[in-house]
Amino acid sequence: MALKEWKETTRDRLFLLLAFLLPALWLVVFGYGLNLDVEDIPFAVMDRDQSEFSREYLQRFIQSRYFSFRGYAHDERILDRLLTETKIRAAIIVPERFQEQLIAGEAVAVQTLLDGTFPLHTDIAKGYVIAINQAFTEDRLIDFFRRSRGLTQEQAGVLVRPLSVEVRYLYNEEVRSTWSMVPALVMFTLMLASPLLTALGVVREKETGSIYNIYSSTVSRAEFLAGKLLPYILISLVNVCVLWLMAVGLFQVPFKGHFLFFFFASVVFVCCTTGIGLLISLLVQTQMAALIITMVVAMIPTILFSGLLVPVASLTRGAKVQAHLFPAMYFTNIVRGSFLKGVGADVLWIDLLALAIFAAATGGLTYHLFTKRPKT
Amino acid sequence: MTVGRGVATWGQRLVALTWKELLHLWRDVPLLLFLIYSFSLSVLVSGAGITMQLTNAELLAHDEDQSPSSRELIHRFQPPYFALVGAISDPREGLRQLDEGRAMVVLDIPPRFHEALMSGERTTIQLLVDTTNAPQGLSAAAYTVRIAALFGTEAALASAGLSGAKASRPLVSSAHRVWFNPTQDERWFQSISHLLRMITLFAVLLPAAALVREKERGTVEQLLVSPVSPFQIMFSKVLAMSGVILLATALALYGVLHPVFHVPMKGSAALFFLLTALHVFTTAGFGLVAATLAKNQAQVAMMALFVVGPMLLLSGITSPFESMPQWVQAIMTLSPLRYYIDITYGVMLKGAGLDLLWKPVGAMLLLGGTLFGSGMWRFRRQFQ
Repeated sequence: MALKEWKETTRDRLFLLLAFLLPALWLVVFGYGLNLDVEDIPFAVMDRDQSEFSREYLQRFIQSRYFSFRGYAHDERILDRLLTETKIRAAIIVPERFQEQLIAGEAVAVQTLLDGTFPLHTDIAKGYVIAINQAFTEDRLIDFFRRSRGLTQEQAGVLVRPLSVEVRYLYNEEVRSTWSMVPALVMFTLMLASPLLTALGVVREKETGSIYNIYSSTVSRAEFLAGKLLPYILISLVNVCVLWLMAVGLFQVPFKGHFLFFFFASVVFVCCTTGIGLLISLLVQTQMAALIITMVVAMIPTILFSGLLVPVASLTRGAKVQAHLFPAMYFTNIVRGSFLKGVGADVLWIDLLALAIFAAATGGLTYHLFTKRPKT
Repeated sequence: MTVGRGVATWGQRLVALTWKELLHLWRDVPLLLFLIYSFSLSVLVSGAGITMQLTNAELLAHDEDQSPSSRELIHRFQPPYFALVGAISDPREGLRQLDEGRAMVVLDIPPRFHEALMSGERTTIQLLVDTTNAPQGLSAAAYTVRIAALFGTEAALASAGLSGAKASRPLVSSAHRVWFNPTQDERWFQSISHLLRMITLFAVLLPAAALVREKERGTVEQLLVSPVSPFQIMFSKVLAMSGVILLATALALYGVLHPVFHVPMKGSAALFFLLTALHVFTTAGFGLVAATLAKNQAQVAMMALFVVGPMLLLSGITSPFESMPQWVQAIMTLSPLRYYIDITYGVMLKGAGLDLLWKPVGAMLLLGGTLFGSGMWRFRRQFQ
């Protein structure tokens, strides 16, 4: 059985090529292209004060790598239009008497207009603005204390900034997006490609009717299902190795865990994902339905609920439940744990267990649902 | 007269073919149910369930000072950003919990923290951040630095005797005004972007799968010898599927986004639907080109994945478009979703009309025309 499926799959050259090429290509495109850091926020400026202070203040934005300066405006309506056209995402309006008030030791409010369509980016941009304001304020305070109390630069510095934070980034010491994305993308590509291949393989037989040959043959249920699964599991495992080599070789992601444990977990995970494909293929009649349902079932929860982009802890209750129902989350933990944290079975056994249960459950359900005498 | 009748038959045939496609879809019950689920329940769950902003980052406090100041500082790590999950007395315990993924941030306050602050000495707190998810880790660190800086400045002003409301001190504060989504309700963003994802996914897959199925079964030859043009064959598929997708979009919009999340429609709803149709047509063009290249549905699936994956992740709904590398921005000028994002948020949240949106609309028209044209050309050449 497995041999037959293997032959059928390999006969289709283009398909085979895509099955191996797709995961690798995706990893390259996303690994290099997917940048989650919010940088180069386009912004415009309206300077009502035109003083030395206001220029120095604005210079801090213009020089920041988080902002990308798009020009001065003289009228608030121009800012309005630029925001609506999405030419800029932020606008800064420095009020009149900015310098005068600061020298007199008064508080000044600088107005920022922010595009709220992407709340996450809005929030991050707001954070950058606050940080720049804070730094500017501290410098003004140091000045102020030096003048009013006759302190030295250093004394005033300690007085203004008594508390500093020493941040230690663990596991991904240089905080590279690639390091955290690439391992998760290994999960992403496996999660998408494997069920799809499997689902299409079975439904193809159903649609062309060749499945009736199986129904009438002596092949047992378990033999049929195992035969269907094996070739796809093999393809996926080759992909696991290729992706692992690419992550370590091309992207220089450190692999701190145990390869054997990682490989074993991958086998279990691949069993889950191909199992999902098989399950879907038994429930639908047409390849079109198999294709679309698998895509949506595999892609959407994987992008949203796996921890790929959003940590599971920050999901709401309902979404968290959904996250725990899919195998993607557990494997994300395993992949990130193995690559970056260097933890092994002692910590990750729960995730592995969950995957194993999932694999067994889909296997059992499929076995139960697949009867050799369908009602129709 | 004959021209008139020609057009009429041409139209009739197109309608008949479109009807045939709809019937195919209608009979595929699992697919139909799934379509409805994707545009209703699934939008609901992802709209309500996901926040990309730092939320509930699990914080462990290692307080070696146990003073009013240290407690006050820890107290400032508040939801929605942070969730205090416990206090520890041994730093190794913190590391272990980070390893197991049960905490994301460990805050370490040194002994004599309170004393140092009161006497105007400089003191340092330490923060351990799990950066396996780099953006979230950075975000947590940034919030901490912000909280600590504010705390420090307040303590400094208090010890300098300048804490009262009337005391004179030069401070620059920011007055933020957030436009288009004043409360920064992330459910608006998430539900809209989920809808966009679904529309795009179905727009690529449905027509492509329909076309290649005919090819695989050989029924396309029957169609070609019948008095319909290749254009009618292709166009009818896109027409049928676009109709279905528009209907589903309406369901999502008036069944979920408006009543549940109160997403406004500031611009014209008619314009939104018109441009959605344009987006579906353009995106379907990708599917059709793929369908002419593929021999069977498995191949189409792989090719569609190849196009849809990058489109969904890189067009600007999952990650900030402006900070993408230049080459990605260049490639993504080919993605209709890139323009559709500007259009949707423009019409729905910003109330923009065609006068402001003509650029993305024009780009999409150009792209759609080219794709459709090349798909047609390949399709014709394959069979004639």
